[in-house]
Amino acid sequence: MSTANAAGPDPGTVAEMQIRVTALTRALDEESRRADALNRIAAAIGSGGDLQGVVQAVVDGGVELTGAAFGAFFYNLTDARGESYTLYALSGAPRSAFESFPMPRNTAIFAPTFAGEAIIRSDDITRDPRYGLNAPHRGMPQGHLPVTSYLAAPVTSAHTGAVIGGLFFGHPDAGRFPERLEMLIAGLAAQAAVAIENVQLTRAAREDAEAQAATRERLQFALQSGRLGSWELDVLTREYTASDLCKANYGRAPDEVFTFDALIGSIHPQDRDGMLAAMEEAIRTGAEYDVEYRVIFPRGEVRWVHARGRTAQSADHGGARRMAGVSLDVTERRRAEERQRLLLNELNHRVKNTLATVQSIASQTLRNAPDPAAFRDGFEARLMALSHTHNLLTDRNWEAASLVDILTMELRPHAGGREGGGARFLVEADRDVPLNPKAAVALGMAIHELATNAVKYGALSAPGGRVSVRSHVTELNGEPRLKVEWVESGGPPVVRPGRRGFGGRLLEEGLAGELAGVVQLEYRPEGLLCRMELPMRALEPTE
Amino acid sequence: MTDVARLSGLRVLVVEDEMMVSMLIEDMLTDLGCAVVGPASRLDEAMELARAGGIDCAVLDVNLGGQPIYPLADYLREQGLPFAFATGYGDAGLREADRGSPVLQKPFRETDLARVLGELRTAVD
Repeated sequence: MSTANAAGPDPGTVAEMQIRVTALTRALDEESRRADALNRIAAAIGSGGDLQGVVQAVVDGGVELTGAAFGAFFYNLTDARGESYTLYALSGAPRSAFESFPMPRNTAIFAPTFAGEAIIRSDDITRDPRYGLNAPHRGMPQGHLPVTSYLAAPVTSAHTGAVIGGLFFGHPDAGRFPERLEMLIAGLAAQAAVAIENVQLTRAAREDAEAQAATRERLQFALQSGRLGSWELDVLTREYTASDLCKANYGRAPDEVFTFDALIGSIHPQDRDGMLAAMEEAIRTGAEYDVEYRVIFPRGEVRWVHARGRTAQSADHGGARRMAGVSLDVTERRRAEERQRLLLNELNHRVKNTLATVQSIASQTLRNAPDPAAFRDGFEARLMALSHTHNLLTDRNWEAASLVDILTMELRPHAGGREGGGARFLVEADRDVPLNPKAAVALGMAIHELATNAVKYGALSAPGGRVSVRSHVTELNGEPRLKVEWVESGGPPVVRPGRRGFGGRLLEEGLAGELAGVVQLEYRPEGLLCRMELPMRALEPTE
Repeated sequence: MTDVARLSGLRVLVVEDEMMVSMLIEDMLTDLGCAVVGPASRLDEAMELARAGGIDCAVLDVNLGGQPIYPLADYLREQGLPFAFATGYGDAGLREADRGSPVLQKPFRETDLARVLGELRTAVD
């Protein structure tokens, strides 16, 4: 022992052997520990687990491999000011160690790592010339993890070259990271990059798949709630695929086979050529396919279908290879359009007939008017009577107007006055009778003529005169008939007019002829009597 | 120009279900010197008048309270009797078979009626 040199025991001695054995054993232990750590890292990376787990395994393994006191992985994501990096995984220190002060900043020390330039290794980072250059800390901030030995490696994507983040290792003592660790840490960083990218790709693929599924679901929902069927056609093979809703638009059950030939066969013969021409045009030119046609259901029902589609994927011969589109049952809309067309047609008819009626009123008023002022009075009054009847009909959709309403409306203007208003008129009906539009207009005109005549020459031209109107329904030969009696009293003595005027003609010829009834005018001296007897079938509204 | 004198004495069946309109047509025909047969406001009545004979031509409303005039038009065609339609529908309400007959769109003037009757009269002669 006395001869031992200062560097250690003499070579070849037992002691020296022991020391070497011990060193080799330690080296071996170290190697096996590293191998274990590498295995664990590889296993974690290979597990395809979540990103956090993979990165944590990399950092933990790194701490173990380098003998660092702590390690961390920071993502290359800077905050809004472009300064701080995002801590992702930490080993050897509680997360709280970072929470009390800011994340690593884009300082001279960290910049090379995040720029992906090189591995930074320092035996004593506090003596590094790049260290302490940055305000406000000028060195390590108070309370920061005590880092002296420093090792950092960029984690760089193998295919894009982008810097994903950085691996950082530290130790409070100086000179803890020998040079050979640089290779190790470079390998670890490469593995970390692959692992992180794999996880990200897997996640992106899964999110993509989920998004596609959600899109499909939304499309399905939209198609169903819009009752839109969808279809696809292979132009060359004529293979046709239709969704359940699409089949329903052609009267087919979901489980029924519905071929392209069956589709063509179901289209109304009058619409088939147009549909095929539109389809050929779309295939040939790529124009939008947009047609409406009638479809005959297997059980014979005829409905309208609106089909739209587009061609996709040009074939070698210049046309399209596939067509895809939607189909919609538009029967209701078509029927609404048809109803509207009929309604407009009917309205036009009604207007033209009303114009002809007004023409007739004008012509006949003119024939009987002694002067323009008389024409004007008579014409306007008759026009107003016609208009009032139209109002009553409009109230009931031009289907009917009530007899009592018509009587009341025509008589009311003449009921007022000093003699006690309504007492001059008596309207009695055993029941109200709905009148069809023609009967309503005819009776309205007739009552108007009677009332006008009564005011001018009859009972209502004298202070004490009265008019009573009674209506009841009777039967003649089993056929119900409406009887209306207009009885005037209390007026000046009645004289039969020398020449029949418009009112007389309208009542005795027009009304009787139009309503297939009998109308009698009796010019009794005590007052005019008008009896109308009209078959109910001529009065009843249709339906 | 229609020679109104040519229309004198022409026996015209009038079928029209609107009271005021049939009175107007009656007046116009009377002014033109024609003899009015009817007016009829229902199909059965009109058919009866047509079968009874003694008419030269007819002016027909297309629709009688929801009932088409077609049976009468067919009968008149069979009998070789010319007729015109008076309608608020224009050509729209007519069958293909009736397209050859003159159409008076309501409202129409007395001169329009005279012109159409002139055409019918020519068909009679």
